[in-house]
Amino acid sequence: MKFDLLSTIEYGGCSAKLPPGLLSEVLSKLPIATDPRLLVDVNTHDDAGVYKINDETALIFTTDFFPPICSDGYEFGEIAAANSLSDVYAMGGTPLLALNLMMFSQEKIPLDVFGEILKGGQDKVSEAGALIVGGHTIDDHPPKYGLAVVGTVHPDRLITNAGALPNDILVLTKSIGTGALVSGEKNGLCEHEDYRRALKQMKHLNRHGASLADKYGVNSMTDITGFGLAGHAMKMAEASGVSFRMRTQQIPLLPGAYEVYEKGSIPGATFRNLEFTDEHMHCTRGVDYNMKMLVHDAQTSGGLLMTVNPDHAGLLLEELNRLDPGISAVEIGEVLPESPRRIYFE
Amino acid sequence: MKTLDTKGLKCPQPLIMLKEALVDLKMGEEIRVEIDNDTSLKNLVTYLKDQGVEPQVSSAGAVHTLVSLKPEKDLAGSNTAIYCTTDLPTSYVVCIKGERMGDGDPELGSLLMETFVDTLKLQEQLPTHVVLYNGGVKLAMKESPVCSSLSELEELGIRIMLCSTCIDHYGLQFDIGVGMISNMVVITETLAAAGHVITP
Repeated sequence: MKFDLLSTIEYGGCSAKLPPGLLSEVLSKLPIATDPRLLVDVNTHDDAGVYKINDETALIFTTDFFPPICSDGYEFGEIAAANSLSDVYAMGGTPLLALNLMMFSQEKIPLDVFGEILKGGQDKVSEAGALIVGGHTIDDHPPKYGLAVVGTVHPDRLITNAGALPNDILVLTKSIGTGALVSGEKNGLCEHEDYRRALKQMKHLNRHGASLADKYGVNSMTDITGFGLAGHAMKMAEASGVSFRMRTQQIPLLPGAYEVYEKGSIPGATFRNLEFTDEHMHCTRGVDYNMKMLVHDAQTSGGLLMTVNPDHAGLLLEELNRLDPGISAVEIGEVLPESPRRIYFE
Repeated sequence: MKTLDTKGLKCPQPLIMLKEALVDLKMGEEIRVEIDNDTSLKNLVTYLKDQGVEPQVSSAGAVHTLVSLKPEKDLAGSNTAIYCTTDLPTSYVVCIKGERMGDGDPELGSLLMETFVDTLKLQEQLPTHVVLYNGGVKLAMKESPVCSSLSELEELGIRIMLCSTCIDHYGLQFDIGVGMISNMVVITETLAAAGHVITP
């Protein structure tokens, strides 16, 4: 009998992240490192820190780790690694080196699972063209895994979450609903095939998105993870000093995600994310209730959210979908001048 | 009254059970939920309030009892006509072109416009959008007498749209009290999709 990693975590969909509001409160009390070489610091809630080494190279530095979101160790390793690497891609960079961060109790879980997680991570890092050069393990239960990643980018080609301009088109490169389908799988409320499709999407690297973002001069970019599409869009709009308008009917959903929410299997993280965006968001009466909740669904290894000049949007979308047939990139809205609220859904 | 015992269950199980039970509940009937998970309780309350009902919660130690009516409009999950007002043949957009209503005495025109916006929120059939352009954008400024009425409309899910060119023209960027600044593409799209347009 194969060991089921999902059995190690509290059953239910309340994800592992600290509530976003609480995190901001704690961080606001800490002094912020300032240095002219820091191109991106924690101020703009971006995906990674960026440090300029010289006129040719800036270093991107990031980390992420979390408890199992699937049963199989190898797949968990792949997803956790894809998720960690994504922060480098979201800055328009290329990952170079990674360190494993592992919390694992050999008393509670067979040791071969440990090896499978690391193998999954290693294979994903290799696929990204980067190298794992070590790591650190702590005895802890339930297990957690992820990477600290270093990448590079040319300082002039860095894509932050603070560059969105009014009239830009909003492009999303993966469907949303991974949180819904993990919750659906745990509660027996979705087709196993739909859950498998969600896992496949989570393993998918955001590599092509990053290189095409550079090619088409994307103005601003972030990846969608724990705070959901709405939360990350809000942070991006705030960092850029603009507002976003998004059309929920164009936001792509993973098959089965809507049905999971309809059956009431809405993870606690969704409600927490909703609290975070609350007063900064406006939904028209036309927005379906489950859609309003799904845009707050916490994503694992989600897609890239880009803002691009309307003249380049068509070509960018065409090439994204041609190079990356496994996932679908779509236009979901546009950037507006700074309005009283950050994000507007309709 | 039907009672759901969700004690000992973790989120989202209580919400799954509640949604299932609401389907069979008759209009006007109440349901009771016993619950000992604080997060789930909070989420159930958020969910029910979003559906337009005000649940009653009482607590004895760590166990809470929530009592709620079946939501009147079963908005959840379906793009029902009630929720998606744009589907209704009677859906309309209000287009406000200036600060005042009608020609003639400007003082009277201002008073009429004020009354019009205040009355709008009382309509049984609300507009889907209120589009403000040219001098009309001034109505959405913080100092405007109808700013609060427009905010109330926004809270009801009405999209208030302000013409960005007009905001720039009048130099009002820092005075905006309510509304989504929109370009002509968005405004034209909205007017074109409207069932009909009312211009006071």
